[in-house]
Amino acid sequence: MSTAPVAQNPLINAPSAPPRRPRVLFVGAAFGAAASVLLVAAELAVYLQVRGQLASAGDATFPEGVVLPLTPGSMGMVTLAMSAVTISWAVYSLRNDDRPNAYVALGLTLLLGVAFINSTVYLYQQLAMGVTASTAGTLLYIVTATHLLMVVVGMLFIAVMGFQALGGQLTGRDAEGMSAAALYWFAIIAVYVVIWYGIYITK
Amino acid sequence: MTVTEDAPVSELVAPAPSTPASSPSGLVAVLSSGDHKLVGRLWIVAALAQLLLVLGASLYVAAMRLDLAGLTKLTDSPSDWFSQIVTYRAIGGTFLVLLPITIGLATVIVPLQVGASTIAFPRAAAAAVWGYLVGSGLVIGAYSIDGGPFGTSLDGVRLFVAGLGLVVVSELLAWICIMTTVVTLRAPGMTLARTPLFSWSVLIAGAVWLLTLPVLVAMLVITYVFVRYLGEDSASIYARISWVFGPPAVYAFALPVLGFIATVVPVLSATRHHLHRFARTAIAAVGALVIGGWALPSFVGASTPWLYQLPWVAVSFLILIPVLALVGLWAVTLRNGQVTLASPLLFAASALLMLLVGLLAGAVQAIEPIKTLVDGPATSLYGTSWTTAVASYVLLSLAIALLGGITFWAPKLIGRGLREGAARGVAALLLVGTVLWSFPDLVSGLLGQGGDIPGPVAENVTAIEGLNAVSLAGGLFLALGFLGFLGLVVQAIRGHEGVGDDPWSGHTLEWATSSPPPAGNFPSLPEITSEAPLYDARHQEASAQ
Repeated sequence: MSTAPVAQNPLINAPSAPPRRPRVLFVGAAFGAAASVLLVAAELAVYLQVRGQLASAGDATFPEGVVLPLTPGSMGMVTLAMSAVTISWAVYSLRNDDRPNAYVALGLTLLLGVAFINSTVYLYQQLAMGVTASTAGTLLYIVTATHLLMVVVGMLFIAVMGFQALGGQLTGRDAEGMSAAALYWFAIIAVYVVIWYGIYITK
Repeated sequence: MTVTEDAPVSELVAPAPSTPASSPSGLVAVLSSGDHKLVGRLWIVAALAQLLLVLGASLYVAAMRLDLAGLTKLTDSPSDWFSQIVTYRAIGGTFLVLLPITIGLATVIVPLQVGASTIAFPRAAAAAVWGYLVGSGLVIGAYSIDGGPFGTSLDGVRLFVAGLGLVVVSELLAWICIMTTVVTLRAPGMTLARTPLFSWSVLIAGAVWLLTLPVLVAMLVITYVFVRYLGEDSASIYARISWVFGPPAVYAFALPVLGFIATVVPVLSATRHHLHRFARTAIAAVGALVIGGWALPSFVGASTPWLYQLPWVAVSFLILIPVLALVGLWAVTLRNGQVTLASPLLFAASALLMLLVGLLAGAVQAIEPIKTLVDGPATSLYGTSWTTAVASYVLLSLAIALLGGITFWAPKLIGRGLREGAARGVAALLLVGTVLWSFPDLVSGLLGQGGDIPGPVAENVTAIEGLNAVSLAGGLFLALGFLGFLGLVVQAIRGHEGVGDDPWSGHTLEWATSSPPPAGNFPSLPEITSEAPLYDARHQEASAQ
């Protein structure tokens, strides 16, 4: 009697998968993002409260002759919306070990971040309003400057993770750092959606 | 094909191994360390040192209230420094002393309780404590040059806002490190449901502060810019940030109190915590009710309809439900076990009693008709010294719980235990002191005495001044208790006798390592199948024998 050869399962002798790394950076970035969102939200709430009080008293929000332009704010919104695509592209590429695409996407995200800063500075120039011109004006600068600070922090975070990717530390299996940076960047975009609607659209 | 079995040996002579770099010692070791135990100790030591300043300020404020007419003249004068000291007492007591001690204790104990070898983001945790030290130095420096709220030096006022901003941001960073540790670095087998209740309460407290402190930072940023560019008065600072010290926002400070009691009660009754999961839910419910200052009556204003104050009234009463449920669980736990009346249990009982009185008093002031009982110009209890007493009860319950925590975890903090008899005496002094300090303020609130900065009082002046004298006596008891505790800690540090790794027969993982814990915390961990792994192991051994 002959016995048929038993097909050997190659996975039987394979080493067990290493334990999943705790997502420390991702969770920490989520907490940091929540804190940043609340910081801007609290400032925005004070701005909207002051604007509402001025409106109910029949006063203008800003001093006479000052007009809040919509175009630079909307350009900023479009810019950040595009950066949402590029940062997602970067995370997807890194997870699939497609490093050339990841580098291009990261570069584009940083470029769009710079473009957003440029559009906000252009808005300040068009506004041509001193910091001390009015209470609402001061608050406008506080809210938008805090958001700009968030953008700068987000860009630094992405740049550091980009350098880690260049150094080979972020691989397809473990691209947590880039996911954390992307999470923070999405928080930046979400905050700007509220600023764009609350400050520039509803004026 | 040639197969190389062994690694090729280089013909070059390998360089002699360099002498390993000597590990830093002394101040350099402290400055460069990211060890959570050292960082936590730094928080606690710095905050305890500042406690002496806050104690002095509190006793001064209490003494000044003995002569209300003289005090009114002082607060009406242009060179009013009483108001500054009142604000220092509140800001220093909360953000420079109590919250830092809470953070310090959590920084040392939480990684040990969850079985982690380190805290998450150790460098950020170290940066947080150094930021706090610099920021608190700036705050004290600002007060010393007539800055701070109600200060007249513009530079000093700006320095104060910047310093307090740095302190708050540092505390926020520390909370993020602690929360991330609980969420991500728990030992294998320790699910979130099995997390020890102190670590759980710290996680909930961290979540509350994560949603509260950024709002405070926003207020400080706005205040800085308004003072700097719009020439706003320095009194606006306190108006923007004092919501943190008022109920129900102040109840957020009480969350670690619940965690401490929930840890001590089962250990010192040598049994499991009754309905551990329900206790977890109750602590989370307290956290959900006290997030931010959204329910504060001062946010809606006195002229708004009563309906808008509904959240405040609702929170003031609803918060009693989970806390009373916890009290019931602890009573059952004590009844189920064999109670050892050790000092941590006395601290826990004192803290719980004071917290309950504070919460009940907070609920009473939310009852609308009670305002008709108030004498004098006050139109409601809120804003009188009754409100100050509610905050005092809650904050002092935290102080008692924190000192109890230091007593309980002293073996892990300093490697030695505190003297048991003296620690019991301190707990009793603090309980008596808190009652004498706060209860007269409840009564004088009913008689119409103002809150933090008492305004002129037309009626009942003699009665109020008498009550203020009792309050001062309570302050002296508290001072004696705090100083006695500091003496106990110094004595323990200078002592030579260890107390063993697990002097209380603890239930959670911090007692599975040596006292003080080594670098990396644990040589090995027991199997974790419940919220009390050491209790399980002890009972398995007993049943095997």
